[in-house]
Amino acid sequence: MRKLLFALLALCLTAGLAACSGSSKNGSSKVTLTYAIWDQNYQPAIEQAIRKFEDSHPNIKVKIELTPWSQYWTKLDTGATGGELPDVFWMNQINYVKYAANGIIMPLNDQMEAGQIDASIYPDGVLDYYTNEGKHYGLPFEMSSIGLFYNKKLFDAANLPYPDETWDWDDVRKAAEKLTDPANGVWGIASTMSTEANYYNTIYQNNGFIISEDKKTSGLDRPEAIEGIQFWVDFIAKKQSPSAAQMSETSSEKLFESGKIAMLYDGSWIVKEFADIDYTKENVDVTVLPKGKVSANIVAATAMSLNAKTKHPQEAWELLRYMASREAALIYSSTGSFITAVNGTQEGWVKSVPFFNLQAFIDSATKFPKPFPTSKDTMKWFTLEEEYMLKAWSQEMSVDEMAKQLAQKVNELLAQE
Amino acid sequence: MRAENVSQKPKFWILHTLLIVLAFFMLVPFAWMILTSFKSLGESVHVPVIVFPKSIHWDNYIDVLYTMPFLTFYFNTIAITALKVLGTLIFSSLAAYAFARIEFPGRNVLFVILISVLMVPGQIYILPLFLIMRDFGWLNTLQAVAVPGMFDAFGVFLLRQFFLSLMKELEESAKLDGCNHLQIYWRIMLPLAKPGLIALTIFTVLASWNELLWPMIVNSSPAKMTLAVGLSWLQGRHGTNYPVLMAGSLMALWPMVLLFLTLQKHFIEGIAMTGTK
Repeated sequence: MRKLLFALLALCLTAGLAACSGSSKNGSSKVTLTYAIWDQNYQPAIEQAIRKFEDSHPNIKVKIELTPWSQYWTKLDTGATGGELPDVFWMNQINYVKYAANGIIMPLNDQMEAGQIDASIYPDGVLDYYTNEGKHYGLPFEMSSIGLFYNKKLFDAANLPYPDETWDWDDVRKAAEKLTDPANGVWGIASTMSTEANYYNTIYQNNGFIISEDKKTSGLDRPEAIEGIQFWVDFIAKKQSPSAAQMSETSSEKLFESGKIAMLYDGSWIVKEFADIDYTKENVDVTVLPKGKVSANIVAATAMSLNAKTKHPQEAWELLRYMASREAALIYSSTGSFITAVNGTQEGWVKSVPFFNLQAFIDSATKFPKPFPTSKDTMKWFTLEEEYMLKAWSQEMSVDEMAKQLAQKVNELLAQE
Repeated sequence: MRAENVSQKPKFWILHTLLIVLAFFMLVPFAWMILTSFKSLGESVHVPVIVFPKSIHWDNYIDVLYTMPFLTFYFNTIAITALKVLGTLIFSSLAAYAFARIEFPGRNVLFVILISVLMVPGQIYILPLFLIMRDFGWLNTLQAVAVPGMFDAFGVFLLRQFFLSLMKELEESAKLDGCNHLQIYWRIMLPLAKPGLIALTIFTVLASWNELLWPMIVNSSPAKMTLAVGLSWLQGRHGTNYPVLMAGSLMALWPMVLLFLTLQKHFIEGIAMTGTK
């Protein structure tokens, strides 16, 4: 036993030493860049693009660093404090202003003004998702939008026509009532307490807003927003949707995958899972969100940002530029992993699941996109909002009362920004 | 002996039924894990639950191997754990001996300071530790994961209590025979403290095997990651393939089960002795 332990110890030490000498060798002519991501499901697509990049840039080697979503920001924050960040990394709309304000990510204006990026390849406005005070902090590569998933089997059983682009809120309400079947444990719709997938959409569809254009006031206590939230809470009150408690026990997606829910608003990110499960594969399809006073759909884009203190700014920029290019987008799209952010490259994704009408997501994202609302310190009011919304969702408090209290608190936070 | 057994019979049955029921509840999550690892994704998320998969999905296990360099992760995890155990045993027992047996000024104050470290949540240390590792030039190395875990206040506390419970006479007679502190520690105390050392070993192995956040923060390259980190990769941002995750967890888990089964006798002894003095 003791011998074994010593052997192991010796082995570890040599391994450690070998690792040290390995990393110090790299500095010579070949540049090694690191590229950080948070989703393993997207890794194969990213890897393919990176291989192509390395082929055309023989002096650059790129290492992918995967940190799952739940630890990604902790790791990034620690790395930022210690001055040890990847050269290029994924960024989202909620967090980029914070990183920009602290000088952690590099503004890309110089490169863009020098014409190294053709801004017209991205859908209108998407670059602005990562623009703060006139400075661009990220180039998008992935987008998501929201659709109405429905269970064809349950619609057939209730003798109802499938939802389509002509539907409005009233159609949803009527269908939810008819589809609800307590005897069989079936709910007409799921009022998931989700910003992006649910109530932000209905607030915008009702001509409301979350945060004013000047980022000074919350719009959540306006009648338009209250109605947009009430739309969802009503389903719970009428027992046409599972309660908040039920959905925290079993997510609405799991219930939908088991045929317990007839209609579900959800994001393009869930398509892969529904396509992998036999039940949803056979019985489910998707269409654009029903309209309220207007059509609206929350669109979010994931971007890549450049480490402001990278040791290889030129090479890192080359990498970022390639990964946001049309050529790379076509590679991502061919794997069917996600909606690409470059105009006209989404066909591969749409065709990746031929039995769902995925074009609905592209149409929503291009025809009536609403960017995910953000301010300087989005995370602060976002967390607060979740806490207050739960009170309305669990019917502890009326939507009116909740919205008033919440908006007041959010306004206080916005005033501090 | 036999007469006693008979008179104890009803008690015996009650006790054992109770233990069997409790054991059953302990084993359910484990059995669930094994069953889920053979299910299809649809079966694993179905409501109401499906207990037995229709057909056995071995491919979940193969998927795990495609997702991560499993052998590298095994090697890293074993190396880190071995280093940590060795370090913890040496440093904790030495410190514990000093706190238990050597009178020196400020001993109690020092001990209280050491113990207070136990009250602080581990996340607080992440940033300072990260900066220290960076200054050592240890980022992205196995020792960055192993070395900070070698100094364990809990281990010192556990072994000190253990040493305190040993008879002082043994030590005094050793002293009369001309032993110095190190000799007493090595020849008398350590052999007597074997159950405590084994208990500490198991605690350390378990903690090290399952540690997630620290290796993930301090290391970035997949070549320096551990099994726990690899398993977390299987969790997507939107939706997780539970059967593959369970298959991976089982593949990561069996060395721990094996270790526990072989050391079971010592383990129970160790816990019992630390508890009752």
